[in-house]
Amino acid sequence: MIQEKYRGARQWSRNKQAVATVIWISFLAASVATMVFFALFDPVELLATVDIDVGRQSGYAIGFFFFWIISAGCSAITAWLVRTAPKRDQLNQ
Amino acid sequence: MSQPTQTDRPRAAALYESAKKIYPREIDGRFAKLSKLATYSLLGLFYIVPWLMWDDRQAFLFDLPARKFYLLGLTLWPQDFIYLAWLLMMAAFALFFFTALGGRLWCGFACPQTVWTEAFIWMEQWTEGTRSQRMKLDKAPWTWNKLRRKGSKQLLWIAFSLWTGFTFVGYFMPIRQLGVDILALNVGGWTLFWGLFYGFATYGNAGYMREQVCKYMCPYARFQSAMFDHDTLIISYDEQRGEPRGGRKRSADRKAEGLGDCIDCHLCVQVCPTGIDIRDGLQYDCIACAACIDACDSVMDKMDYPRGLVRYTTERSMQGEKTRVLRPRMFVYATLLTVLMTALITSMATRTPIMLDVIRDRNALYRELPGGLIENIYTVKVINQSNDARDFHLSVDGVPGLTLDGVADKFTVKGGAVLSLPVRARTDRKNAYGIMNITFSVTAADDTGVSVTEDSRFLGPTT
Repeated sequence: MIQEKYRGARQWSRNKQAVATVIWISFLAASVATMVFFALFDPVELLATVDIDVGRQSGYAIGFFFFWIISAGCSAITAWLVRTAPKRDQLNQ
Repeated sequence: MSQPTQTDRPRAAALYESAKKIYPREIDGRFAKLSKLATYSLLGLFYIVPWLMWDDRQAFLFDLPARKFYLLGLTLWPQDFIYLAWLLMMAAFALFFFTALGGRLWCGFACPQTVWTEAFIWMEQWTEGTRSQRMKLDKAPWTWNKLRRKGSKQLLWIAFSLWTGFTFVGYFMPIRQLGVDILALNVGGWTLFWGLFYGFATYGNAGYMREQVCKYMCPYARFQSAMFDHDTLIISYDEQRGEPRGGRKRSADRKAEGLGDCIDCHLCVQVCPTGIDIRDGLQYDCIACAACIDACDSVMDKMDYPRGLVRYTTERSMQGEKTRVLRPRMFVYATLLTVLMTALITSMATRTPIMLDVIRDRNALYRELPGGLIENIYTVKVINQSNDARDFHLSVDGVPGLTLDGVADKFTVKGGAVLSLPVRARTDRKNAYGIMNITFSVTAADDTGVSVTEDSRFLGPTT
């Protein structure tokens, strides 16, 4: 078929799709969480309660990466469980 | 229809070609001009806005280190976070509204992914040439010419990305100072990190990932179809008019040959940034950039056929009915949007530009002073949210004979500053018994209408 010559838009492998999607969506979630969290709490005051003094900028960054790791871990496990779940029996659907 | 469904098409294609790079062909036309205009104005805004000044400070500055947002004459504090949430909600409803009305207008013309990709493709065209030149160059062995072209593309891409990262950081700290700091090689670690982070994300997304972001990573691309109905604008190929497709001479009588209007030139496929064939029907990979409309119109012009074989249309109109623009869905979205916007504007316009925070000293219940007085100690914080210094009065109410000590009758708080006052409230012993509710109020000296109150407690002896 002549069309295939033009059509073959590059496809990502399923693993690549999963990794990219997990990273990106958890990034978005972490951004929102960071915004809401640090609008309510000042990292300087927060870290002072546990006797850490690293400054506001680092506080924001630590918070952001904390949220990103949590949400990325959660997304990754979800994606993995969904993809590796036993398939429903095709005949009994 | 015999067209393959969305789910099996990519899999079928993947059997033939697993990783084929898309070389979008350059095209000129009505929609290409519109897209160019959108790219110039949106990127222009992004790169220029941080340089705008308002009085003696940056007009738009999200000063995270100081926890204050400046928007023109307005200063927002963390306590004003609700406005940001509100704005995001309005953005969401605006997106719903425009999607229901115009389909994927956002994807095709306004999404940062599209806009930056477009800019990166321009740079690719300047350095590597047209579509066919780019394809040839990629296949060619490494020569001096290839190295020069690829190298200059990378140079442009990297410079542009770095500038993008710099601009991004410039929204969060004064950009002029940041520029000076960078020239003096005196930038903080995090500042450098975020700049490079954003720059690298731009480089990767717009230079390499491109349409894959829309296909695999974008949630909006997947759920936008929920906002579609039969009256939503879509880009569609007129199958009835086009089929059966096939090549022919320009002079040929297509009716005699039994052909439709589609000459099967594949130009619509070549210009597509996501590499789909619009003639296969509506696909979620289509970002509605309208490049195929421009391509097809140019061919129709050459063939002396009427334009619009590929065009903006609606499902209803494709079925020969009239498109309804005013439909319940549009009214619901529009009403919600109007309500949200009115509420936001009213709330911002009537915002009292002061805040008061009262913290009772928890170390002592109360103090007995000589002369039969009972004293409670408070820390009173007055926040002046306006940009200019202002005089205020502080008063307290709720217990007979209660007076304040430690605060002048009139005090000044600088614009955008917090004044912390250690305040002692005293009253006669006969007036103080147990826990009593009191109310502090702070009022602007020049305008008694500008006033806020804060409740607290006054403790006295229980005997």
